[in-house]
Amino acid sequence: MEVTFWGVRGSIPAPGPGTVRYGGNTACVSVRLQSGDLLIFDLGTGARNLGNALLEGPFGKGQGQATVLLSLTQWDHIQGFPFFTPFYVAGNRFTVYGGTNHTTELEAILEKQMAAQYFPVQTYRNMPAAISLQSLPVENTFTVGSATITAVRRDPGPLGATTYRIEDAGKSLAYTGHGACQPGDARSALMKDVDVLIHECSFSHEDWLRYPDRGLSSVDQAVNCATAAGAAKLVLFHYDQDYTDAEVDALLSRGQHLAKERGSDLQIAAAAERQTLTV
Amino acid sequence: MRVRFWGVRGSVPVPGPGTVRYGGNTSCVEVESPAGTRVIIDAGTGLRRLGKQLVKGEFAEGKGQAHILISHTHWDHIQGLPFFAPLYQAGNKLTIYARKRDDLRLRTVLAGQAEAPFFPVAFEEARADLDFSELPDGQRFAIADIKVTTARLNHPYVATAYALQVGGRKVAYVSDTAPFEQILFGEEFIAKAPAPGTVLSHTDQVKLAAMRDDVVRLCEGADLVIYDTMFTDADYQRVPHFGHSRPMDAIAICQQAGVRRLALFHHAPERSDDEVDKMRDEARVLAAAQAPGLEVLAAFEGLDIGLTAAARPAIQ
Repeated sequence: MEVTFWGVRGSIPAPGPGTVRYGGNTACVSVRLQSGDLLIFDLGTGARNLGNALLEGPFGKGQGQATVLLSLTQWDHIQGFPFFTPFYVAGNRFTVYGGTNHTTELEAILEKQMAAQYFPVQTYRNMPAAISLQSLPVENTFTVGSATITAVRRDPGPLGATTYRIEDAGKSLAYTGHGACQPGDARSALMKDVDVLIHECSFSHEDWLRYPDRGLSSVDQAVNCATAAGAAKLVLFHYDQDYTDAEVDALLSRGQHLAKERGSDLQIAAAAERQTLTV
Repeated sequence: MRVRFWGVRGSVPVPGPGTVRYGGNTSCVEVESPAGTRVIIDAGTGLRRLGKQLVKGEFAEGKGQAHILISHTHWDHIQGLPFFAPLYQAGNKLTIYARKRDDLRLRTVLAGQAEAPFFPVAFEEARADLDFSELPDGQRFAIADIKVTTARLNHPYVATAYALQVGGRKVAYVSDTAPFEQILFGEEFIAKAPAPGTVLSHTDQVKLAAMRDDVVRLCEGADLVIYDTMFTDADYQRVPHFGHSRPMDAIAICQQAGVRRLALFHHAPERSDDEVDKMRDEARVLAAAQAPGLEVLAAFEGLDIGLTAAARPAIQ
């Protein structure tokens, strides 16, 4: 699997000189499978750059196909949807999965973003590509190309964050876009022994203490999840919009320090826009 | 009167090394009168940073007051609102203005942005005193010492231009708008550029001419006009149905209205800093030929313009 980060920020895009190194776009990660198929985790504003890069290949000719896996439908996970250029090329085909009980709910959520008062295109049906929406029940396993995908939702209902595990060619990857796992919960079980865990990490421990009810994770929690699951590598992403590059560096150091302190051989990286990782 | 730019980008925020100089935040401009009246025009992502600045002062104690004029409710003009810190401090007084519509209340549209499952904090949980004011087309009103005039713009779903006058100084904000030719925008989705040779109906031509006259009147004698110049001419030829203007359109309006200074604004997301420089340089050449005396600049985040009572060049 080849994983590329297009948006690593949480809440709201954070442009400016302080975020140039890690990037200021909201959540979007692409995964190229061994079979050549393309998965896309989340459509934050990073999706705009991904879309423009994809147009240089088959997506520019209306011959592209991809599977979008939404971890959440808060703005920072969907706000790139209207600006994803391959949606505007007829012939491209997409399936968009999201954690709702019914596809009509997922459709209502995504359509609201496209509505005339907010965006001139008015409905995703005005986008020329074929876009099929698909709700995900609380637990579900399906295949795309060479990969087996398992999705687990934390809570029933449209707010529930969905965690994904991808098994492809003997390697595994887990993606969790919102909130830390709890020991023994279904999400924790889903991450068991993964080669790479991409984990939402919005805050330092100190900042997390100021905002404990936002449902977002601290670096300490991300490390706890990764070590409890026995992950080989933890990739931090979804940094708070106020964090400068130096503060993200500090999150990474803190994570590495924690792992070392516990005698864990967990590898830790901090995701940066346009960086690629091979699993 | 002081004018400060907090977000100058159109469509979608664009972080990255290519936009560091002009800035990647979406539309937000702050205007402060000499008496301290604070008006904010548009609530794109630039509003988040303005809010952080404001809560260093009286807004932290719930003693702040601001008036927010919304040009229209497309995302890039409202998406900063849920992240505006003064909204969550009891005692602050915020009045939000936008064009009156028959189909939807302004409050409903803005509250829709803060609903589950899109955002964790509902609009009802905003602690500040919120007031909504819906403006009929062409409305004139006063915000304390500032005189406000409005004009309808040519944009999908319809946008509103604002002019603010105080102490003999005037700033106009004209964004978003297409030129007043070729297409009359309204409520319908326009999927394609008009076929070559398409002639607008006489009625639509008359409406567009009247709309343009109103915009010229709004800008008349302004010290500063902030104008949607998202498009190069090549962009406009390709997608005239997206509802944005070129520097040449803004210059023609400013020439006719005897404007002193034009700020190119609402830069396209794909435009790098160097490309914005180039657009500005080309616009200056055009202005020198067509509107002598008109100064052209490209707005950037952090730009702070003081409009003082200094002598003004004679109107052409």
